[in-house]
Amino acid sequence: MDRGVRLIPIAVLALTALSLAQAPPASNPSPGGWRTPDWNKPPVTAANRKPAPRRSLTGMWGPADGAGGGTQAQGIPLKPNNGKPENALPYTPYGLQLYKSHRALEGFDAVLPTEDNDPRNRCEPLGVPRSNHYNVRLTQIFQDDYKVLIAYEYDNRWRVIWTDGRQLPKVVDGGVDIGGEIREPRFFGYSVGRWLDDSTFQAETVGTMPDDRVWLDSTGRPISDKVHVTETFRRVDADTLTWSETIDDPKIYTQPVETMRMSMRLHDPRTDIQEYYCSPIEQENYNKLFGSGASSKGAP
Amino acid sequence: MSTARLTISMIAVALWLSASLAAHHGAAAFDVGKKVVLKGTVAGWIYSNPHCLLSLDVTGEDGKVVRWVAEGQAPNVVYPAGYRKDSFNFGDQVTITVEPVKNGRPMGRILAAVLADGTVLGVANSSGGPPQPAN
Repeated sequence: MDRGVRLIPIAVLALTALSLAQAPPASNPSPGGWRTPDWNKPPVTAANRKPAPRRSLTGMWGPADGAGGGTQAQGIPLKPNNGKPENALPYTPYGLQLYKSHRALEGFDAVLPTEDNDPRNRCEPLGVPRSNHYNVRLTQIFQDDYKVLIAYEYDNRWRVIWTDGRQLPKVVDGGVDIGGEIREPRFFGYSVGRWLDDSTFQAETVGTMPDDRVWLDSTGRPISDKVHVTETFRRVDADTLTWSETIDDPKIYTQPVETMRMSMRLHDPRTDIQEYYCSPIEQENYNKLFGSGASSKGAP
Repeated sequence: MSTARLTISMIAVALWLSASLAAHHGAAAFDVGKKVVLKGTVAGWIYSNPHCLLSLDVTGEDGKVVRWVAEGQAPNVVYPAGYRKDSFNFGDQVTITVEPVKNGRPMGRILAAVLADGTVLGVANSSGGPPQPAN
């Protein structure tokens, strides 16, 4: 290789092997009292399993597969966008047309950085359901007698699921109808939830943003303002929560799509979470220093 | 560890490295599977979203200095792998392994690093932890 750089594959492997031996601990549990995430928890077994509390989702939850377990770079986990026929989604003609208009940075037909039109890269809110499909990491859930609040790590976003018995709004063109009043569409929609039993909570969301504002996942799959999102949270035991989701969007898909079944592990509630913001200025700096150069078609 | 077992472990790690790089953007810009070892002098380390960026001045065999820019993932992603705000300081002599971009520019993404004090760090990727040894 030119530029005087030597390719040393054996050395690379040796370096990598060395890193296995000398890698630092995954985290310092509490430097100066600021507890860091612990991604090396012992597995839940019959010996250490504790029963689930009754009707409680409260806690700080992280993907059970580790910090990267909720990345979903290849799209919704039950249908990764890898070009395999079995993972193709049942698009309507309009849905397919919309998908083809999206230039995504992920997936089998990904484009180069700076060639994409992902609203995320303009720091638009991901909304529901995409917040469930983008770098789900430490996710905090709080609840009281009236609501469940989910606080996502990415972009410090939060949403409310009402549990006080109010009804899910009716979706109409341009928003939702609540008691005869037309309300605006929202990035995180309008959510209500209820306990199906003492360990299973179901949330439904409608009234999300229109097709040109939000995506389903990072591979450019579309979603519309007519989507009905159903999420099921099951507290398997004290330390484990399964989070499932199905979308029903007749404008985009000819049938409902089950998108994820993610196992989440309870983390120490005192864990400090680093900021994971989308900042337009930082995004611009990144493109200037790296993204634009990496995307160019040839060497300078 | 036998030679065969070490070889299998290395192959497993190489596959793991290739499979686990993803988060903010995809692999379209990168020459996936290719790895370059760079020894140089730190010119800058930005510990920021959406990606950490390391600027490294590398002197080639022809004596010319080329500035490489290598990215890691965001701070919250690379922190569990050991990368800190002060992992690289101006003037440090370090060695990094990168997966280069396809277009030939001196850019890539960090797969591993040996810091100035000898600390070895693994892939600055989205999996959140150092690679686990194959049994």
